[in-house]
Amino acid sequence: MTLNWWTLGFQTVNVLVLIWLLQRFFWRPVSAMITQRQATIRKSVDDAHAIEAKAAAALATTVTTRAGFEAERQTILADAHKAAEAARASLLDTARTQALALQAAATAAIEAGRQAADAAWSGRAGQLAIGMAGRLATRLEGAAVQALFLDSLVQAIRALPEAVRAGLAVDGVTLDAVSDAPLDDAARAVAVTAIHGAIGAQPEIGFKVDASLIGGLELHAPHLTVANSWRADLARIHDQLPGESQPAPRPKASNAPLPLATVPTAA
Amino acid sequence: MNSPLSSPPVWQIGPVTITGDVVATWVIMAVLVAASLLATRHLALVPTRTQAVLELIVGTVDQQIRDTMQLPPGRYRAFIGTLFGFIFVANWSSLIPGVRPPTAHLETDAALALLVFLAVIWFGVQAGGIRGYLATFATPNLVMVPLNVIESVTRTFSLLVRLFGNVMSGVFVVGIVLSLAGLLVPIPLMALDLLTGAVQAYIFAILAMVFIAGAMPPKGNKQ
Repeated sequence: MTLNWWTLGFQTVNVLVLIWLLQRFFWRPVSAMITQRQATIRKSVDDAHAIEAKAAAALATTVTTRAGFEAERQTILADAHKAAEAARASLLDTARTQALALQAAATAAIEAGRQAADAAWSGRAGQLAIGMAGRLATRLEGAAVQALFLDSLVQAIRALPEAVRAGLAVDGVTLDAVSDAPLDDAARAVAVTAIHGAIGAQPEIGFKVDASLIGGLELHAPHLTVANSWRADLARIHDQLPGESQPAPRPKASNAPLPLATVPTAA
Repeated sequence: MNSPLSSPPVWQIGPVTITGDVVATWVIMAVLVAASLLATRHLALVPTRTQAVLELIVGTVDQQIRDTMQLPPGRYRAFIGTLFGFIFVANWSSLIPGVRPPTAHLETDAALALLVFLAVIWFGVQAGGIRGYLATFATPNLVMVPLNVIESVTRTFSLLVRLFGNVMSGVFVVGIVLSLAGLLVPIPLMALDLLTGAVQAYIFAILAMVFIAGAMPPKGNKQ
């Protein structure tokens, strides 16, 4: 076995040439392409990172802006709540005031209505009572009742002031003795005597009949009336009833007897 | 039958003898360069399937260099990759009828081993300078210098003999079996020979990387 040095040399050169050729036409281009792709990918990744960073910054800005929006929204809501609360308080105050006013007005109206109703019912009750009393009083007739009315009239005349009684005795003055029913002559004489005695003079006295008196005997002078009748008594009682400010209605005459004594009233 | 160890001349020009191994090597070179030119005509950022295969090959070689030498692959890629590719294609050229692998002859393997021997010196000097390269013989201490010098020669011979013996033996066995048995009988042995050829190409490249890496100065001591 021998070694061919020419072949050894050729093969050495051949392999060296092959190394150079493949370095030029294979290893270097492919490696360069790999490097280029890696650079491209790296650049893409860097660009992606840069874009990601920009996106993160934009997101942070957006988050900050949204936080600002949120704060502004909270502020606006707080202001709106304050305004609404103030408006509500104002409306409540106004409504409360109006309600109180309406309540007071309603209370006053109710009270006024109640008082009016009370007065009306009181008036009606008084009228009913007076009517009933008048009907009962018309049934009281007779000499005893006339004597009582005459006695009451005499006492009322005597209770008059002296100057008034003196005025009744002036010459030319005619006094009218008014009764609810005509008096007979004897009753008239007794009445004239008693009235003259009470006045202390003897003026002229005429007799008249007024059925609306219900019962009683009154003395009418030109400027003076001595009321002494059931009608005057009932009117006075009616005027004294609570809630009565209007004059009492005149009770209608009837045949009922007079159950009550009257108190003379100077007019 | 000619001896498998003999390499008959194809041309004789004076003292210069062109053997069949050299011609076969030229053919392999032409095929590899032509294939490279064809494959790398349309490289683009968006790779085709062919380009992906090429990049896979380059990436695998780079990764092997990184794993074995612990160095950036750029400077050694062409040498290591071409050694592997040439030996691989040369070993597998036995598939072509009538073609004997160039690596089945001593001169080709000796040329490859010689190139590895020179490359160790070249890359070692480039990395650490002459003193740095020579200093690698004194590791771990000066006593080891003679042994390291002897080793640098003997490992070159081991490369030569390993590759030659494996490839030549495969060719021998296939030739003997083919001469004794029928046409299809050597096929399993040929398949085994292909496996052996691929493994030997890988081993040769790995050992070349190991030897070159051994000539590198220790880290932190580079010039």
